[in-house]
Amino acid sequence: MTRAPRVLPFGESAFLVELGDELDDRLAARAREIADRWEYGPAIPAYASVVLQYDDRHDPALAEKRVESVLRAAGQRATPNAAPRLVEIAVRYDGPDLADVARMSRLSVDELISRHSRREYTAYFLGFLPGWAYCGRLDPKIIATRLERPRERVPAGSVGVVDGQTGVYPYQSPGGWRLIGSTDAVMFDPLRERPSLIHAGDRIRFVPR
Amino acid sequence: MIHIEVAGFGSTVQDLGRPGHVREGVPVSGPADPVAFRAAQALVGNSSTDAAIEAVGLPFTFRCDSSRLVAVTGREVSVTVRDRLPGWTAVFVRAGDLVRVSGTERSRYTYIAVSGGVASEAVLGSRAAYPRIGFGRALQSGDALALGQPHGGPEDAGASLHFIYGERAGASAGPHVDRFDDAAIARFFSEPFTLSAQSDRQGARLDGVVVAPKGGELLSCGIVTGAVQVPRGGQPIVALADHGTTGGYPIIATVIGADIGQIAQRAPGETLHFYRVERDAAHERSRVQHVSLFAS
Repeated sequence: MTRAPRVLPFGESAFLVELGDELDDRLAARAREIADRWEYGPAIPAYASVVLQYDDRHDPALAEKRVESVLRAAGQRATPNAAPRLVEIAVRYDGPDLADVARMSRLSVDELISRHSRREYTAYFLGFLPGWAYCGRLDPKIIATRLERPRERVPAGSVGVVDGQTGVYPYQSPGGWRLIGSTDAVMFDPLRERPSLIHAGDRIRFVPR
Repeated sequence: MIHIEVAGFGSTVQDLGRPGHVREGVPVSGPADPVAFRAAQALVGNSSTDAAIEAVGLPFTFRCDSSRLVAVTGREVSVTVRDRLPGWTAVFVRAGDLVRVSGTERSRYTYIAVSGGVASEAVLGSRAAYPRIGFGRALQSGDALALGQPHGGPEDAGASLHFIYGERAGASAGPHVDRFDDAAIARFFSEPFTLSAQSDRQGARLDGVVVAPKGGELLSCGIVTGAVQVPRGGQPIVALADHGTTGGYPIIATVIGADIGQIAQRAPGETLHFYRVERDAAHERSRVQHVSLFAS
């Protein structure tokens, strides 16, 4: 399950650290922990990898040593830092793909809503758009494939599902996830103290309204 | 204030962007051609944190209501106050003078630095516009922007820098080299590509030889500027200033920092070659470029 991380140069001012090649809560948590420990520049954790950037005026060999020492330190933490924050998001289950996802999953619409809303998800990481959090995992009974033809305009606040994951579109954008609901929650506001409603590592619950 | 009379199409205010918010999914933004941007700022004596205008679609014309040093950089650009002067040169402009920035059909991203910097409103600690989600907006004719305190006078005019745009860009292989067969990587570093008209500040899209990745799903990972992602169709996309913070396509190579502008400034239809640089050589090139352009 856990294998030695692979440290790959990513240009002359970053490394890609690969921790595995599957969607796994422990790998995502490890990626976030490594990103937290990196003090030499921006870090971007993802499902099973983390990109560690450093100042391009610094010697790459020194930066590589720093990566190795951060990797050694990560994972030695006996207990997680703090209890994760729980973020509740009020959702109207009124998405244009609700019936299609129910059919694909061989569930009634009510059962789909209940299975989507009764789980607590982990926000693995943020990407794609400011405030977009990749959350999982979905109840394995919920089957949702990516749209063959992504929509050109998905409204802000749309709640989507795809391949074991769920997320909320913070801004209007093109998108290929299946839309099952919508929320009025403001997912990202640069004027807030915490601009993003969801941070990586948070626990997420969707509350039907 | 700087009063913009002719604003081009998609011109914005940029500084070095907001790299501190990538973990929230916020693109870094900043200049598409960082070297040209920094050169313009250095010529007027601004600091690296000041903001300047990135003009797209020339001509771009403006007046300042106080005397200022101005520098224009980019590809095939010139600046006319009373006389026409070459780009990459500090020019002293008097209050009220009309300044006209001109280019050719090959000019893409042009930097207009004004001493004191553009003091537009900052979002998340940066003045870099990212209009797609309402962080600033594209400049329009008639806009007036505040400027910082000017410094320098007519005696500082005339300083110039030299920079040559070409059709070659250095790149190091990877990080996802094992997602491509050796032949695809060899083609990437030897065959010519053509800039697609779909290119923008998010990415330069390339047409030409197919360098498709081997099969298999790739989990999304973090992306840095210069990353060359290859979608299944095999036509590479080079990540530029407004690129998404994460991406799900295999990355065949990463353009060296010193040559990002070489990619950003290619015009649609022009050819582009990549040549292979090892990481340590890329680091050395960035360092030398930094010293030769900015150490004064």
